[in-house]
Amino acid sequence: MEKLAIEPALSSPSVMFDPDSGLLEIGGESYPENSFEFYAPIISWLKQYLAEIDGPVTLSINLSYLNTSSTKCMIDLLDELEAAFRAGRTVAVEWFYDDENERELDTIDEFREDFSMPFSAVPRKEPA
Amino acid sequence: MADFDLYSLRNVFTEYGVMICFNGPFSHSVIEELGIAVRKYLESNDAPKNCIADVFAVFIEQAQNLKNYTSSGPFSEPEYARFKNGTLVIAREGDRYIVSSGNFVRDEDCPALEQSLSSVRVLDKLQLKALYKERLRGASPAAGGGAGLGFIDMARKASDPLAFSVRRLADGSAFFNISVSILAG
Repeated sequence: MEKLAIEPALSSPSVMFDPDSGLLEIGGESYPENSFEFYAPIISWLKQYLAEIDGPVTLSINLSYLNTSSTKCMIDLLDELEAAFRAGRTVAVEWFYDDENERELDTIDEFREDFSMPFSAVPRKEPA
Repeated sequence: MADFDLYSLRNVFTEYGVMICFNGPFSHSVIEELGIAVRKYLESNDAPKNCIADVFAVFIEQAQNLKNYTSSGPFSEPEYARFKNGTLVIAREGDRYIVSSGNFVRDEDCPALEQSLSSVRVLDKLQLKALYKERLRGASPAAGGGAGLGFIDMARKASDPLAFSVRRLADGSAFFNISVSILAG
């Protein structure tokens, strides 16, 4: 299975999903012109990866801002991982935040409430 | 155009504390560039990070609502040409920032718009959070590409209930305006 690599833009994040290491990274800001179009291939890649390749998987998120439609897409992405976790897979989500901006931690906490898989909030060293 | 008085327009902006104003068609690149300007302006005013984040988020939701509405379906027809232009201002009023936007809407879209906003503006923060989470799980993409969560998200970030008005016009259209106030401190 090929890596999934998307270059960052002003309003859309960089994506680097590596099927060999199981490390899925997404970072930047997310308010693309059409979030559903932007996230559709990312969600299909993840579905295929979870179905075809075994092993631990870590989703590392370094997003400082998501608009509402990106938030909806992120829930869909996390739902896929949660289902894999409930089926016995080793899954971890880590989400980086700016500890001087309480809104970023608020955002992560709201996501975390809805999932039972390991989901950590990590203070960021450098700006996203 | 010769007697158009830009100076008086500017005085109106100053009188109402308008910091940034855009009037015209909202494209995605306009939204991106204005967004950068909004953040830089607030940073230069030493606004706290969470306040900048809230103003930016409300700006994005309003601007993307505007763009999605004005670029969808019937609005590509010539009779709707003026519908393409939206107006968005960010102003300072006392201890609050105001993010306000307006655009023409079709008369038949008004009842749903008014109903949606009236139901959101009476909810408290906990009720808003519950409704947001419910919609997040249930929402399917709206016609324009949004998630239908924008008004709820704005209300959650606002320091006062959402303010809105729908002004019916003689030609059967209406002008819709929404204003969100956010505590500056």
